[in-house]
Amino acid sequence: MIDRKRITIKFAGESGQGVNSLGEIMSKLIKNSNLYVFAYREYPSLIKGGFASYQLNISDHPISSTTAKCQLLVCQSRSAVHEYLQTLEKNGKLIHTLTKLAFSAEEQEYIAENAIETQYVDSTKLAIESGGSKLMGNMILLGVVTKLMGADLAKLEEIISIQFASKPDLLEKDLICARKGFDLEASVLPAVDISQLDKNNTSAQYLVTGNEALTLGAIAAGTRIFYGYPMTPSSSILTYAAALSQKTGIVVKQAEDEITAVQMAIGSMFMGTRAVVATSGGGFDLMTETISLAGITETPLVCILGQRPGPATGMPTWTAASDLNLAMYGGHGEFPRCVIAISDAYSAFSQIQNALNISEEFQIPVIVLSEKHIAEGLFNVGDFSEMTLDIKRNLTTEESVATERYADTSSGISPRWLPGVLEKTYLGNSDEHLEDGDLTEDAAAAEKMMNKRMRKLSTLKGQLPLPRVFGNLETAKRVCVGWGSTLMAMNDVLATELGSEIAYIHYDFVYPVNLELLRGFMNKPDDVFVIENNQTGQFANLLEHELGVKFHNRILKYNGRPFFFEELVENIKSLMSNS
Amino acid sequence: MSCDNCEVQYHDYYSENIYTWCTNCGNYGISAALKRALVATSIPPHKVLLAFDIGCNGNGADKIGGYRFHGLHGRVLPFAAGAALANHNLKVVASAGDGATLSEGINHLVHSVRNNYNITFILHNNGNYGLTTGQASQTTKKGEHMNTSPEGVITDSMNVARFVMELGGSFVARTFSGDVHQMSHIFEAAINHKGFAFVEVLQSCPTYNKATPHEWYMERIYDTITIPNYDNSNRDWAREIATDMENKIATGILYHDKSKLDYYSQLPQRQDIQTTLVDEVRKTDVKDLVASFR
Repeated sequence: MIDRKRITIKFAGESGQGVNSLGEIMSKLIKNSNLYVFAYREYPSLIKGGFASYQLNISDHPISSTTAKCQLLVCQSRSAVHEYLQTLEKNGKLIHTLTKLAFSAEEQEYIAENAIETQYVDSTKLAIESGGSKLMGNMILLGVVTKLMGADLAKLEEIISIQFASKPDLLEKDLICARKGFDLEASVLPAVDISQLDKNNTSAQYLVTGNEALTLGAIAAGTRIFYGYPMTPSSSILTYAAALSQKTGIVVKQAEDEITAVQMAIGSMFMGTRAVVATSGGGFDLMTETISLAGITETPLVCILGQRPGPATGMPTWTAASDLNLAMYGGHGEFPRCVIAISDAYSAFSQIQNALNISEEFQIPVIVLSEKHIAEGLFNVGDFSEMTLDIKRNLTTEESVATERYADTSSGISPRWLPGVLEKTYLGNSDEHLEDGDLTEDAAAAEKMMNKRMRKLSTLKGQLPLPRVFGNLETAKRVCVGWGSTLMAMNDVLATELGSEIAYIHYDFVYPVNLELLRGFMNKPDDVFVIENNQTGQFANLLEHELGVKFHNRILKYNGRPFFFEELVENIKSLMSNS
Repeated sequence: MSCDNCEVQYHDYYSENIYTWCTNCGNYGISAALKRALVATSIPPHKVLLAFDIGCNGNGADKIGGYRFHGLHGRVLPFAAGAALANHNLKVVASAGDGATLSEGINHLVHSVRNNYNITFILHNNGNYGLTTGQASQTTKKGEHMNTSPEGVITDSMNVARFVMELGGSFVARTFSGDVHQMSHIFEAAINHKGFAFVEVLQSCPTYNKATPHEWYMERIYDTITIPNYDNSNRDWAREIATDMENKIATGILYHDKSKLDYYSQLPQRQDIQTTLVDEVRKTDVKDLVASFR
């Protein structure tokens, strides 16, 4: 089934055991070994305990999906063994650090049936024997895995040396432990042997999370202030932006709540700087009144909505794409807006720039939908710093301010100039207002201004690019449609033999939605499979509403997990044979 | 029309829109005093952002000149703070009532004081929700009969000036809507203060607040300048005189800490940078930042 060779290894343990550090160092080692890697994290909403995992999918082609199964599992806690043992493939290997580990009858059967090899490594003891600390057991494990994969010890040592350069007294011990682990293993494990993969020049590439790419994109587009209130999966945007503040002069304000964060953002945007506010679903709920305020005052506003499963607290550290309706419909009254969904690190970097441009050009709120899977996924990418867009602000110059701030125009877009401009002051008014911003309750004036504002939506719709098409829409037997992280799995699905039978239409701009390509399928809607990480098919419902046809064939997932590669292949195949 | 170098005139803030407040509303005096203070501080209309909350005060947003924003109920402070952070070359003056500030948006008051954002805040304290026809607010006197508490308010009334002092406010003043002269001077001092300048205006509401009309205040207020040797940098003294809201009500600049730095001035990454965040919006090369991900 899998056309591309793929190696999958998973580190698992309790939160607080250093699972992420193991995964990050190993990801870097894989990239520096000239292979492509995509890393996926699962963890509980706990500081310590529970079970957490860091999974690396490795290939000789760029990949962006994660598999349900793995070939090597490295576990540091009993709960992790019991959670993940049955994700091991046939002939896979379990390495664990647990004394007297007992398997249930079912687990024993699974191990026997699948010829799983298990190995106990007393990493803590080995680390202490080597002169290191208890936590350096992780270095022992890195050494073991490096050997099993046939990777280069010198490269591992180099990465560790850079990573822990700030702690030179511990570094030497770290390196001794890594070597010790490497020497423990006699041979390479064939299932995870990286010599079976072709090498590329990935060592010159970068490993970046979706949130880091979003932050960098915002800065590239001139964002000078970030606002937020801590909430997974968007908190790390604030953390990363704060880490860059000395270098860039940007301001990062952790506000007292999400209402404050979004109000501060609209205040900053009204004055004319570029601000970005980041939150998740619950925080966005609180912001919706201000989204509506941006609508009527025609103030640019950009909000990143990092999705996770709801309702309410839901599963805070897991993934979902279930806030499309919230992004499209949140906020009272009727006003134009734009919703853009990112799908990987590249699109994170470029779409946040688009969002800032659109919000200023059209003077509307723009919501950038992300997902935990993208926000915290680690992407192997080329140099994306060149993927910058020109800044479009659509500001009227000081000399040409001769009209009204909310003048009625054919595009719906009024001239905008910034506070400080001498020529003419104005009022941004949350009350319905006349073209100069002054309050009105006159029926005809209110209708005129409602029409003016909503006209911007048609203007915007006419300017948005078509969705991206993968494969051949003419010859494909079925057409998949998706948005957000669906692309990450579909990219890899299209590289299988299914790629010759299906095509995929991907929507970056989910609202307003461009229906042009889909009109061709109005007489055969059952050939369209809509694939979404939510329960009700929110995007499919939008398409049905807009096109007036029913899309019955939907692949939906809403258990906090992203679409796994092999699972999605099976889902599509089974839907093809049943429809 | 103002200009960059002309002397600022009162009529620069003129609006041809007709006021919609009740006869004898305290807002007439407040609006006039605000204009006088802006003229006295030589701030032309294009160099100010007047941010209004929702309530009777906000209905004055289109009856005055200057750049203005009329936002959401209870939210004027974070809006004003975000505006001030973006462009420190414009003076930001926020106005809101006691309902919005002490109920819906009290968290914003707390954190604006604590952050010491560089804005002037005029609290229109008329002791009730006027625009929604006379509900009790946090400053309605206990026992008053209001339309959602017909048997009388059972909650104690809040002393806002003291509350702001407890939070560490750097400028705390109290004035009266019937005294345009004192209000103008206090607004002027507030505008000149670098940091969060809190001004409580005791405001008469002739329509819905029958408990504390204009005359009630006139009989009780006094100016701190009449206290011999009053030192408004002494917070304990300020707290003491701010306490009485029933018999002898102190007005004037009750407390002023000139040494406390405002939020923006303390940002380590903004030291030695003269430009504003508005000036700095441009395409930015992130190649060096991306390089750290290799």
